[in-house]
Amino acid sequence: MNKTIVDYFAQFDEHQAFVAKASELMGFNAAPLITFIIFAAAAVIVLGALATVGGLGTYAERKISADIQMRQGPNRVGPFGILQFLADGVKMMMKEDIIPRHADKLTFNIAPLLCMLGVMATFAVLPFSSGFTMTDLDVGIFYLIGVSSLVGVGIFLGGYSSNSKWSMLGGMRGASQIISYEVPVTLSILAIVILAGGLSFGAVVDAQGAWPHQWYLFHNPFTFIGFIVLFIGILAETNRAPFDLPEAESELVSGYHTEFTGMRFGFFALAEYMEVFVVCGVASALFLGGYNVPFGLGDGTFLIEKLNVPAIHAKGIGQLLQVGSFVSKTLALYYVVIWIRWTLPRLRVDHLMTLCWKYLTPIALFNLVGCAFWMYFFNGESIWHLLGQLGGSGGGH
Amino acid sequence: MFDQIFFILSAVLTMGGALAVVFTRNLMHACVFLLAALFGVAGLYATLNADFLAATQLVVYAGGVVILMLFAIMLTGGVQSGFNKFGIEKIPGMGNGKTFTAAIVAVVVMCFVIFKLLRNAVLIAPKGEMVNESTVEKLGTLLVTDHVLAFELSSILLLGALIGAAVIARPRHIKEDV
Repeated sequence: MNKTIVDYFAQFDEHQAFVAKASELMGFNAAPLITFIIFAAAAVIVLGALATVGGLGTYAERKISADIQMRQGPNRVGPFGILQFLADGVKMMMKEDIIPRHADKLTFNIAPLLCMLGVMATFAVLPFSSGFTMTDLDVGIFYLIGVSSLVGVGIFLGGYSSNSKWSMLGGMRGASQIISYEVPVTLSILAIVILAGGLSFGAVVDAQGAWPHQWYLFHNPFTFIGFIVLFIGILAETNRAPFDLPEAESELVSGYHTEFTGMRFGFFALAEYMEVFVVCGVASALFLGGYNVPFGLGDGTFLIEKLNVPAIHAKGIGQLLQVGSFVSKTLALYYVVIWIRWTLPRLRVDHLMTLCWKYLTPIALFNLVGCAFWMYFFNGESIWHLLGQLGGSGGGH
Repeated sequence: MFDQIFFILSAVLTMGGALAVVFTRNLMHACVFLLAALFGVAGLYATLNADFLAATQLVVYAGGVVILMLFAIMLTGGVQSGFNKFGIEKIPGMGNGKTFTAAIVAVVVMCFVIFKLLRNAVLIAPKGEMVNESTVEKLGTLLVTDHVLAFELSSILLLGALIGAAVIARPRHIKEDV
């Protein structure tokens, strides 16, 4: 059944002792209460951390773009301007909240919330480490694809409800782009699901190793192409350049969020930056080995056997290392996303659709069939394994 | 405990969304409320441990059907006023006192008949324990073994729909009168 963060704590004797002690003190079975508290604390930590990542994303975007264009970037608020995002947040909250008179009030109000909701619901299955995953659902990947499509609804409704031509066009472009690029992205993910034999993030990550040759990225030629297709697809799904047509400022003012002010706009922007983190996390979990750490450091066996560290500390250190491994891979991809935005020009609308339907979708289908054949003929062994066997039987080269 | 809270939340979301769909006069709002109702149904599936079905509900309805509906409503101009230029309602009321009374009586009678038929099934059905395990692997195995024919037929249907859509959307050959 689904593994959760509570299962991680429940494996230690200390946790059991604590639950027993709490039950004794309070006079009833404290296990459900403690489960609830653990979940609540984990939810607060994840939401806080990722909201900060989203905020720092805006800072990183401006700093990296400044670096690429040989400028300084924000440098007034705090050391190196790192508190700029807090200043921006305060500014947005202080702004006057304007709703256009002819806007559709209900949808105008809920559109930013739908975007936020769609992104935040994906945090529940994001595999930060083997223990610190809120819940490792058996249908985790499928669930993530499902709830993240709420973002598309939010963008569309935001564009529709503003009652403005620019917003309307931006919203239409956004929604059509998101549902088009979902096809190649889902097909590339499906190829990995075939190789791993499971729809949960835990199963996919555990099927890979810590070293690059054990990653699905270098598993076989099809997955390598699949990763590139997925990466292009997620750029388009998060409306990032070169696919940021929904908010193309040279032609559409600011796209679907033209009419939004203050924190409503802030929600759209924050949702976008958090979604970039989420999709980069998905790409790193599916293709780049996720949270795996070498030498058995992750599950604590190294520390327990060689250094005689108590299990709870060894596993705790292992979890921290796993979180570090996952987050560093994700942030490396995040950097590439920003880098691409400030390097490539924007595509035209018809080019965008041509790229999706005439190139990426057939390639993704081809990859899917290729991975299925690979599973059938080579039993899912990686190409390095097969090359090693070839060298071994051929007497070595 | 948690199951019950989650069930009540999902049920309230489903029922509230469904009622709002019926009672709102704005098609776009109806579509948004429909989204809420579909999410509630996904929650109901999740309380029944049908995790794969719940996720499918999210993917198919939230991701596909609702966005398609929104597009269709927007492109056909669905939010025009319900009254025409003479101030007469375009969508007339669907009956009067007599027809409503007849309908309610018919519904009550039908309910009695249906419950009479289903009584044995309801009584015999044992109140089993909820099996707390995943359905994904079983579903996957069944789809490509016992139900492979249905699986392939539905994929052929979808392929037909895909090709049909491409044929309809294909640009017509335009005769150039030079």
